[in-house]
Amino acid sequence: MGIPLVPQLLRSHLAELAENDERHDGRARWEPRDTELEIGVLRNAEGSAKVRMGDTIVYAGVKFQIMTPYPDRPNQGGLMCTAEIRPVAGRNWEPGPPSPESIELGRVVDRGIRESGCIDVDNLCIIPGEKAWQVILDLFAISDDGNLFDAFALAGIAALKSAMLPEARFEMSDSDRPLPVSKTPIMCSYHKVGGRFVYDADGKEELGGDERIHITLGDDGHVHSLQKGLRGIFTENEFAEIMEHAQSRCKELRELVLETEEAD
Amino acid sequence: MVMKDGRVARPDNMSVSNDADGPRNQGRASLLVIPGEDLGESEGHEAGHGVLEVDGRLRATKHGRMNENGTEIAIEPLRTAYIPRPSDLVIGYVEGCTNNIWFIDIGAPFNAILPMSLGPGKAAFGGTRSLMDIGEAVLCRVQEVEETHSSVVTMKGMGLRKIRSGNIEQVDPHLLGRLIGKGGKALRQLKEDTDCRIIVADNGRVWIDGEFDGIIAVRDQLDAMSDDAKSTGVDA
Amino acid sequence: MGGYGDVQMIDENGLRVDGRGPGDLRPVSIETGVIPVADGSARVIWGTNHAVAAVYGPMECHPRKIQRQDRAVLDVRYNMAPFSTTDRMRPGFNRRSREISKVTADALESVVLLEMYPRCKVRVEIEILCAEAGTRCVGLTAASVALAHAGIPMTDMVVSVASGKINDVVVCDLNKEEDNYGEADLPMGILPNSGELVFLQMDGDLSPAEFQEAWDYNMEAAMLVHQIMVDALKGGDA
Repeated sequence: MGIPLVPQLLRSHLAELAENDERHDGRARWEPRDTELEIGVLRNAEGSAKVRMGDTIVYAGVKFQIMTPYPDRPNQGGLMCTAEIRPVAGRNWEPGPPSPESIELGRVVDRGIRESGCIDVDNLCIIPGEKAWQVILDLFAISDDGNLFDAFALAGIAALKSAMLPEARFEMSDSDRPLPVSKTPIMCSYHKVGGRFVYDADGKEELGGDERIHITLGDDGHVHSLQKGLRGIFTENEFAEIMEHAQSRCKELRELVLETEEAD
Repeated sequence: MVMKDGRVARPDNMSVSNDADGPRNQGRASLLVIPGEDLGESEGHEAGHGVLEVDGRLRATKHGRMNENGTEIAIEPLRTAYIPRPSDLVIGYVEGCTNNIWFIDIGAPFNAILPMSLGPGKAAFGGTRSLMDIGEAVLCRVQEVEETHSSVVTMKGMGLRKIRSGNIEQVDPHLLGRLIGKGGKALRQLKEDTDCRIIVADNGRVWIDGEFDGIIAVRDQLDAMSDDAKSTGVDA
Repeated sequence: MGGYGDVQMIDENGLRVDGRGPGDLRPVSIETGVIPVADGSARVIWGTNHAVAAVYGPMECHPRKIQRQDRAVLDVRYNMAPFSTTDRMRPGFNRRSREISKVTADALESVVLLEMYPRCKVRVEIEILCAEAGTRCVGLTAASVALAHAGIPMTDMVVSVASGKINDVVVCDLNKEEDNYGEADLPMGILPNSGELVFLQMDGDLSPAEFQEAWDYNMEAAMLVHQIMVDALKGGDA
């Protein structure tokens, strides 16, 4: 990724905004941008979703492949999650091998989904010791205006929840069946902007901001993964504040996923 | 907020006056054209900005509004990069420097060069960063532009200086005219209402300085203008 | 081209597998501004193909070694997303994509007024989100609209479409089965105002008469798609 210039004036302006409990686009501290979720948007994927958060737009596609289980785990299938932020998504995303930024993005989202146990890899066996399903979740950004983490995580879980195991195409049965996904883990990300944490930072806030914290919560409010990124320090109180917000916002986004699924 | 960086409606070589007083040729709903579109016979007409003459006919090469200035047919593009012209007032950010030159991002395809001799002060060779550091913002003027569109800027001139406080917004070029108003009236009114210093630069960047509430009021006004334009379909 | 001549893809009434007649184009829709952070962008849905294109620039041309003193350079990337095909496409270097990127750049450089931006580059990013035959044509078409949307000067738009032959019948705009099992594929990139070409490839087997028929189908289809482009750039009802 190309390192963009951070104007000093932006940082001082963001600090002044923070002091006055304002954000540069008029949002409140914990206010999200307009969020849209659509599923079933990619015809050649076995499960798919598109998420728009402000001007950030991402796709998630689920593809299945047959794999040979590991000898020591003959009944287990696999889950692989990759994130690609190609140059299409922004001026500062350069062509070439995956950058540390995009690798971190993919791995953080992967952990959030994997650690929740929502996909039971023991339940993906086809023929013990010979064949099992490998679930591949590909996260694909087409427009980056900040907070790719949450957009990817939301699109990812929505795509998984609407995915169909292609048993008919692979001639294992007469019809496809839904991929069993037992939970709906949701990620909320917070960036320190102008000295305080805010929710759903956009491109400008990310540019002028500092460290970030990503929290993935499960259906029961249990914590499934955490990540702190970039340079910076935070206090226990700051973390407690964020966690409180995450508990309520994750619930809202979970509702959105379930409603979207139902309406389909 | 309003616009991402760099897009302004200042065509590369439009021969109209450099008057910031108001949008050029506004009013009449001019024809929206796309590249390749036929614009009529070239006989008796001149090809202006964004127009090519091919086999006796004029053809649009840009996506924008066709305007007739006398015998000249030109296109005012809906979106285009900022291409600097001499004497343009610009707001830039210091992207880098050498021992006696600063490289300034002015939102054009090429960074501008600010030599020490035209800079904010005097320093020893190698002292550029102590005078003006990377990431700082400046109000300066384009002195000259090379064939390849890279330019030299200067801080020697009335009112040109480092921007130390306030906020810089990027404004859609089509709103600049509305922002400034007829004879500068709308801008003067906005400055009065918000008690802010507002400088509108030719590269689509606007510097707003004043009390916090005033800066917020200007931002809200810019937002309202932008929303209004979107809903009435002026923007593209 | 598989050339599996015995796969029946057109019936005695001249109806193809998807219900089209020999000269019919798949449904096409075009939208601009779909990638808000880009300088210009477009989406093309063509049958079940789904492509987006983003344009960034003009900007300083890096790396230096591709920079040209007298004109701009188009830096084009055509890519298929992993979930775009029935069998997942592994991300990473792909020879086919590299070739398509190059011929697409060659096509677009033939219409863009490159001399206006010496030492600059314009990035064109084409992403195929769902593939259903003719993706290079869909990509080139989307790129042309995105360039116009970004305000890049061009002598004309580029419309690209591929006709071919199935079961000895020349047909317009091959779909997936026809592309896989047919006998010929002729993709072209056409300038609507002059009928001139900036892109041409062919593989398979076509007699001179069949070649002319396929060529003509492409020309007609290009006019239809051009009108859809015009509507998209001019705002539909405008």
